[in-house]
Amino acid sequence: MKKTRQQYLTRGLILIFIGIIMLIIFYYQRSTEHQTNMFYLDTYISVKIYTHDKKKATEALQEVDRIYQQYHQLADSYQAYDNINNIYYFNEVALVNEKVKIEPELYHLIQYGLDAYKQTNGLVNIALGNVIDIWHTYRDNADGIPTKEELQKAGSTNINNLILHKNYLMEKTTDIKLDLGSITKGYATQVVGDYLTNLGIDKYLINAGGNVKVGNHYQKNRYKIGLKEPKPNSNNIFKVINANNISVVTSGSYERFYQYDGKIYHHIIDPLTLFPPNYFYAVTVITPNNALADVLSTALFLMDLESGQAFIKSFNNVDVIWYDINNKIHYSAGIKNYE
Amino acid sequence: MNKSDWQLLAIIIIIIISLFAITSLFNYNNSTIATVYYDNNIVLTLDLSIDENREYRVKGYNGDVVIETKKDMIRVKEEISPLHICSRQGWVKSTYEVIVCLPNKVVITLSDNKNKLDTVVR
Repeated sequence: MKKTRQQYLTRGLILIFIGIIMLIIFYYQRSTEHQTNMFYLDTYISVKIYTHDKKKATEALQEVDRIYQQYHQLADSYQAYDNINNIYYFNEVALVNEKVKIEPELYHLIQYGLDAYKQTNGLVNIALGNVIDIWHTYRDNADGIPTKEELQKAGSTNINNLILHKNYLMEKTTDIKLDLGSITKGYATQVVGDYLTNLGIDKYLINAGGNVKVGNHYQKNRYKIGLKEPKPNSNNIFKVINANNISVVTSGSYERFYQYDGKIYHHIIDPLTLFPPNYFYAVTVITPNNALADVLSTALFLMDLESGQAFIKSFNNVDVIWYDINNKIHYSAGIKNYE
Repeated sequence: MNKSDWQLLAIIIIIIISLFAITSLFNYNNSTIATVYYDNNIVLTLDLSIDENREYRVKGYNGDVVIETKKDMIRVKEEISPLHICSRQGWVKSTYEVIVCLPNKVVITLSDNKNKLDTVVR
């Protein structure tokens, strides 16, 4: 009799032990969230990672901050920084035909800009600085628009006037000015995503002001990424994208713009006409690589719908949502995979 | 396994299920939580279903930032900056919106458990 009671007790303890183990496993699967927020590249950037390794998380988020800060400084066209030759230096200080030594990171970023130019038949042009400067001045004063002649006389926008040499040297052959605004956010976000993945942190969510990149989900699910209706003062979500290991990037005309004579003038300038186009309120691109998504969303924003639909046929795994100025929403065929 | 073993197993299962239930209950209450950051550090966390109709002062880069709350809503009432973008933004109740006071390095985000989205592209 005494023996059996002991047996019950032992079995009972074993069962309790199994229960505790199950609970621990359950909680361990729910990775804890670590977050950092920062202001770089003229935007508010929020990065969330999910891991139990607190020390690793802290180090990773510090490195993420450093990466964004580095690209912010390299692409900055408004000010110089100590010990680096950035876009400001190249535009405002460097002489024509001076070979400027730049960081490998900036070199590869510019190389990516040159590739983007070819890939988009010149619609994404990082040598548009002279024209963009004039638009900025008009937008800041919120009064009037420049004439075509004024824009054409602004200075060279010919990307062939920019030469990348070996050993991280670059040179301009005319007065061209670079503006990396159309590529840097996506490129840096892709670098951050790759860094986290290589570190073994595959569960993350990055939102860099309209550029979203997600890894694996923090539970066994898909991320739900809402697309905001592209209207000023609207908070409606017109579409939800469900996906993991994806980038969702929107180019829109409704956040940085001014009105003149009843028309809206926004910040995305067509390199061919030198004016902002008026096809869409927003174009959203969904594809794994954030840098590509950034480039394609800008290019598609500058094309009409039919040209855009034809253009994306040459890309694999790229889906698009066009929100046109008649408030009609057009979806590429693959969007159904994200519903 | 005899009768008392099964009883014990049942008790353990009940305990585990109730723990699950309790944690998920905590996750699904309907309060709106406002988180106030200064220079990437959380300086204030407010439950807007409880901390309503009040004023808070937090440190900003240019001086104090005055934050006012109502039921499930929050706004920046006063701050020192050139354009006053974040105080002009007015009352915010949607978790899709963020109040960003760039010159003051102050950010206010809202979250609730009704909102099932992970993030929003604007």
